[in-house]
Amino acid sequence: MINIFSQLMMEANKSLYGLTIDPQNASKGPVVLGNGDFFIEIPVAFGCAFSDLTLTGANGTALPTAAELIDKGIETGVGSRMCNAIKVASYYLEAGLISKPDMIITSNSCCDSMTTLGILMNGYKPWADVPKFTMDAPHSFDEESYLYFGHQLRNAVTFMETVTGRKMDWDRLREVCVESNKQRQLLLEFQELKKAVPCPTEPDLARQGTEYTTWTSDRVTPTVTAWLEQLVTATEQRVKEGKGIDGVNEKVRFLWQDLAGSWASGTVLARLQKELGAVCLMDYVSYATWTPIDLSSEETMFTSFGKRFLLEDAMNRQALHTADLFCNDILQIVKEFKCDAVIMPAHIGHRDTNSRMKIVRDLCREHGIPCLVLGMDIWDKRYMTPEVVFDRMKTFFEVSGLI
Amino acid sequence: MRSGLKSDIFEKFSALAGSISNSEVEGWKQQGGKVIGYTCSFVPEELFVAAGLMPFRIRATGSLSAGRADDYFEAANICSLVRHCFNKILTGEYEFIDGCVIGGGCDANRHILDNWEKSEARIPFLHRIFFPHSSGILMAQNFRNQLENLKQLLEEHFGLKITDDKLRDAIVLCNEIRDLQKAIYALRKVDNPPITASETIALVVAGYSMPKEAYKADLTQLLEELRGVTVPENKKTVRLMVVGPGHDEPTLCDIIETMGGTVVTDLTCYGGKTLFGSVREADPDPLQALADYQVIDRPLCPKNLDAHPIINREVMDKIKEYRVDGIIGQSYLCCETWGGELFVLQKELKEAGIPMLRIEREYTSDSLGQVQTRVQAFIETISGGLL
Ligand code: SF4
Ligand code: SF4
Repeated sequence: MINIFSQLMMEANKSLYGLTIDPQNASKGPVVLGNGDFFIEIPVAFGCAFSDLTLTGANGTALPTAAELIDKGIETGVGSRMCNAIKVASYYLEAGLISKPDMIITSNSCCDSMTTLGILMNGYKPWADVPKFTMDAPHSFDEESYLYFGHQLRNAVTFMETVTGRKMDWDRLREVCVESNKQRQLLLEFQELKKAVPCPTEPDLARQGTEYTTWTSDRVTPTVTAWLEQLVTATEQRVKEGKGIDGVNEKVRFLWQDLAGSWASGTVLARLQKELGAVCLMDYVSYATWTPIDLSSEETMFTSFGKRFLLEDAMNRQALHTADLFCNDILQIVKEFKCDAVIMPAHIGHRDTNSRMKIVRDLCREHGIPCLVLGMDIWDKRYMTPEVVFDRMKTFFEVSGLI
Repeated sequence: MRSGLKSDIFEKFSALAGSISNSEVEGWKQQGGKVIGYTCSFVPEELFVAAGLMPFRIRATGSLSAGRADDYFEAANICSLVRHCFNKILTGEYEFIDGCVIGGGCDANRHILDNWEKSEARIPFLHRIFFPHSSGILMAQNFRNQLENLKQLLEEHFGLKITDDKLRDAIVLCNEIRDLQKAIYALRKVDNPPITASETIALVVAGYSMPKEAYKADLTQLLEELRGVTVPENKKTVRLMVVGPGHDEPTLCDIIETMGGTVVTDLTCYGGKTLFGSVREADPDPLQALADYQVIDRPLCPKNLDAHPIINREVMDKIKEYRVDGIIGQSYLCCETWGGELFVLQKELKEAGIPMLRIEREYTSDSLGQVQTRVQAFIETISGGLL
């Protein structure tokens, strides 16, 4: 039976995975291509289509032809241990499958792989004449850093104006920010509801909701706000009724401290839920710490943008900064969401988490939290198959006495 | 490989580059001097020199295993340079340093700090600075602010004062050293260079392992000796340039030179990349001069998204200046930024008709055996089988 949650999931998925690899969409005006996150409110207000080539590559790994695409990425020669999402994106680029954008805006965003994709895009000969703008996301989170990055986003607007000959409509940007604030507030409310025991909704919804709201182009719209409102209302109802996820007898609540990946969510996490009652309460993308954009002046707006990008975007928060912030978040999530265990998938592309393994293991030991490090590839299921991941997690839960 | 030149300075440099702690460090410490380690070429040594500290660039010379570091850094996914260096730290080979500044360039490198701070090898002064990922006035200001902060921390921790005048003197000294190194590099432009690649690596690595004034004196004398060398008669060789990260030990170059190639120059983190231009000497704000040099003038690291055109230009200029026949693009496995950079560079070189051999390798020299066959084939292809 299709319930409201399945419906919402389908809608978000359609929007997320329905994205074509071609960012050209004349109806959406000039195309800005990024190597990762930009700041979605800006292109939306500017009337631009924004496409994130990393996301395009990651989506490629969800296709039935994923293995072939990854292998083609390897054949391009872009480093044998590169993140596979980036390998696929490189293949798309090198094979000429991505139309020429009107401008390119790159930053180091949250990982070395994305930086590398930026190098490839900026150095791609057929796009030599495409105007380019680069930004430096600092690995620090304080007022000075927010100002610094906000200043660069402000300069990005000037760059877009110069390239297109259009002017930013500041009232429209405010409007978009109001909508955005509303949506982030709804995500926070949803997160609060999700803390209930048993977990009221499919955990994937939190991730899909976050991605739907924050990553895809043109999403800061009333359509997404309505989607989030429905999600919150339906979840509230569930919590009132004390119900958990349909068909799931919740026994273990765990934190999956990485991206869910293109295959893990549909296979491993669903199977764990169904067969073992092990529910993934939180992941690398969904952790909501949003604060509203301060709309009092242009300067406060851009400083807020800086803060959102550097500290509140969950992936940047986890990947860009210190081990201390990462560890505090783990403890906080475990406490707030009443998690019984921490799973560190340790995706091969994530040099940041792969550099913090001992710190996390020690932290969990010190706090008596069972912790499992997998060392998998979230985009290529040949590296560690879903069956192996399932078996290892099952054994871990058994040995830890959780099931 | 060794050239024919018999020089005490060569002997000294090669001994310094072949170990971690050394007699120069010991001498410095015996006189009450302090040593400060650092990890990346964009951490400005001038700041340490101005503080009266001896800079020592962290490396993993002679490392055979990264066993203890592998608890901290996942071996399959983290570059071996980082793991082997951190292993040396954990095993106590860097006990002689009094503090360290981590250059947070890539995702692996920057976490040396987190791991070090939480390990038993922790030392009282550990700090990290970040190199901006793009070049511009704003970024240079940001980097300057980081340097200002580092300066204050050094002053507080070591109880000293780094005045602008001292900074300017340090800038002059480091520029002079760079000029001497450049002059020695330039000697390799001739057909049969008086100095081999291995000797050049030892020469630059020694510079990161001893007090600067003494190094300058040694370089001056060595340059004189080298200028007096009569180059033996020409032998046919393939002239190669090494591009990529790290490169603080000579095995790869030795393999190349044994196979009939001559490494005439490089653009690597220990060598050619550090010899770019000069820092402004009389700037009213010497910290800004240092920041501008690193961020705007010399962004030769692919972690900077604006670096590629400058790296490309440097490579192309050097190809002409040093009459390079082919490029060896070497990087460590799991090094993504250099992986991307070499990928783009290779395509451009191909268009320009310059052959490039791409090598992904581990830091330790014993992993290089398998590279030998590829190097040999590359050299044979370039020389048309005439070597
Ligand atoms: S390494 Fe992680 S953040 Fe980077 S592109 Fe791959 S999955 Fe995305
Ligand atoms: S070689 Fe690459 S991965 Fe290793 S420390 Fe240097 S930049 Fe980082």
